[in-house]
Amino acid sequence: MLSTFRNIIRVFLREIRLVTKDHSLLLTLLIAPVLYAFFYGSIYKFKVEEKVLLAVADDDKSELSRTFVQELNKMQIASVVKAGSLQEAQELMYYGDCQGYLYIPYGLQQKVLSLQQGDIVLAVNAARFLPSSELAGALTTLALTVGGGVRLKYNQMQGLNTKMAMQETQPVNVDYRPVFNSRSSYGAFLLPGLLALILQQTLLIGLAESVALDKERRQVPGLVALAGGSYSATLWGKGLFYLLLYGCYTLFFMNVNYSILEIPFRGRVPDVSFIFFLFFLTLIPLGVWLGTIIPNQLMAAQLMVFSTYPVFLIAGYAWPFEALPVYMQWLSSLIPTTPFLKVYISIVQTGGTLADNSMSVIHLLLLCMLYALLALWGIRRLEKRQQSLSL
Amino acid sequence: MIRSVYNIMIREWKRILTLPQLYVVLLIVPPVICFLYGFIYEKEFARDLPVAVWDEARSPLSRQFTFMLEQTESIHITRQVHSAEEIRSLMEKGEIQAGVHFPRRMDEHIKSRTPVSITLYTNSASVVTGKLIYKDAARVLITAGSGVILQKLVKTGMPEGKAMALVQPVRLTSYFLYNAQYNYMKYLVPGLIAVGLQMIILMATVIVINEELRDGTMPELIRMANGAASNIMVGKGLAYLGASWLHYILATCIVYPFFAGGQIGGSFSLFILFNLLIIACISIGMTISIIVNDVMVACDIGVFYTSPAFVFSGFTFPRWGMPWYDQFYAWIMPFAPFVDGFFKVFFMELPLRYAHKEMAILLVYTVLTFPIGLFVLQRKVNKLMLKHA
Repeated sequence: MLSTFRNIIRVFLREIRLVTKDHSLLLTLLIAPVLYAFFYGSIYKFKVEEKVLLAVADDDKSELSRTFVQELNKMQIASVVKAGSLQEAQELMYYGDCQGYLYIPYGLQQKVLSLQQGDIVLAVNAARFLPSSELAGALTTLALTVGGGVRLKYNQMQGLNTKMAMQETQPVNVDYRPVFNSRSSYGAFLLPGLLALILQQTLLIGLAESVALDKERRQVPGLVALAGGSYSATLWGKGLFYLLLYGCYTLFFMNVNYSILEIPFRGRVPDVSFIFFLFFLTLIPLGVWLGTIIPNQLMAAQLMVFSTYPVFLIAGYAWPFEALPVYMQWLSSLIPTTPFLKVYISIVQTGGTLADNSMSVIHLLLLCMLYALLALWGIRRLEKRQQSLSL
Repeated sequence: MIRSVYNIMIREWKRILTLPQLYVVLLIVPPVICFLYGFIYEKEFARDLPVAVWDEARSPLSRQFTFMLEQTESIHITRQVHSAEEIRSLMEKGEIQAGVHFPRRMDEHIKSRTPVSITLYTNSASVVTGKLIYKDAARVLITAGSGVILQKLVKTGMPEGKAMALVQPVRLTSYFLYNAQYNYMKYLVPGLIAVGLQMIILMATVIVINEELRDGTMPELIRMANGAASNIMVGKGLAYLGASWLHYILATCIVYPFFAGGQIGGSFSLFILFNLLIIACISIGMTISIIVNDVMVACDIGVFYTSPAFVFSGFTFPRWGMPWYDQFYAWIMPFAPFVDGFFKVFFMELPLRYAHKEMAILLVYTVLTFPIGLFVLQRKVNKLMLKHA
């Protein structure tokens, strides 16, 4: 037991020397995670997009249309750009100077005053998802509010007092309560997952590069010998460095980044600590195994960088897991990110516990075992191959 | 000169086809990522998301509203609950994405002029599903509420047309142009593929010169180039431009038409814009490769430079919503102006004249980096020629 521990420490110290001597590993493991975390995080600092430009072509030029445009401009989401005509408004959108346009035709006020329905037209550039949906939502709310105002006036004119008129105006209301992200902001949704993804990808790239470097230099038999011939001591000796380093990063991110970026933390610290620990225990053998199958350090970096977006997209975070095709769900289930994000987001965002997510915790444990076996097999295979080549 | 450039281009193609660090990145990765992205969004929409109903009204109206909610695309009523805490707890466990509450004596209140509030809870920790459910539920509940007002007004003897005008005095007709159904596949796949393709070219070109130095093949290359750095850069650049055309064919003839509803072959405008992006990436990549001798460090610079491109480009989260320094950083990468132009020529199918600004900006990246690379490479070539003289 003691000798196994000593072997692990020996490999651990060797890994420190390897990382400090290699520029690429230093950059990937020590600089990139911190830089990326602040860098990416800062994009979503304001969390929601505000003042989306909307062109308004007002042919009515009435008191009602002016009030409508003024109210629209007061909304947090919209900023009005005046256009002389419908065509000018369209051109503004085509040139990218606004994200849509509102057309108020002549006679709107006259129609409303004579108790006829008045029409206004909104066209948004739905190729841009977020701003267009926000604009359309805001305009719908405003049109409903104006409608409510007109009904209120009508009810008052019918002799109802203000209280009764108000009650008659809107008999059914929708009370919308977004839970766990009260502003439904994209930033608050994305940031926790993004920070975890930065940790995951830099760890995987660094570790796969490190193993590929050993492979390239034909140092695997020496490494196994340093670990007393034990494959598991080789795996966990190398992995210990990453476990400690990424444990520190996690502590830093969960305190400093969460605080700077004002990300709410609703869960329990022991729960989130445990799930990160288990996550790293799964990523380490995965990184080692990938390193054993990729030919060299350069290709490890090249290939791993292309995995970032696909992994994030199939993990069931940005796009619901259930909405993936079945074969993609299977593929997604094989990556540790999927169960981890489910548990981590549940803890951090909704205040869930490990017990609430027991199936995902078991899923992650199973993946940990699977990748540990693959990593051990990979190290053994490399050792045998490099030994036979040296003979 | 033309012969020398041609020979270097052919030599580079031979390297692309034989060196794993080049053929894997340029020829294997593109189809893998293109089809992967296509298959992820095969279902196009998130349908039938689990929603709970907390029905304290237990009335004909609440049952009718529940039925209308179930008929929408995103909502699937999976269970009945009995409190807000239960809704919250089920959301924590991930068993439901939203909950709808109909208050006690809802029908009575509506009839007796007491306004009622129907509460919609969504798990907005997941913004995409939260917004989809809200969009459908709000539409149903607003329509249902308008129906109640209409019925009340008609009962007073008001003509239906006049009643309708009171229910909705200002009728807003909304047009969602270029992606009317908010189809995720149509929206994300083209952008993800475009960013992948520019990453591929950049990741390949950051190692094209320093690798020759490392492997000792530079003298042979200099001989072929007759000592002219421009021949080396143009010859190699043309080979990578050719590789990017294969990627363009893959994207616009197979992936965009089959997975993202684009037209086969894209368009002339898209081809021009894509080429400007690729030429900018080749210039930047080669310049890095010329300046940084260490292949691994150059590769890391490539990774660091290119991997944030998608997020900073404003494709998903608009650039104007970012702090000024991030907006500034976005302009360091050619993908940002490309995205602006891409929206115009691909999604909006506008003529190229609407993307002149973006094209001019894309040219700036080449104009700035190519001469720097050329100058440094010529100095290196001259040194090597002196050494071997």
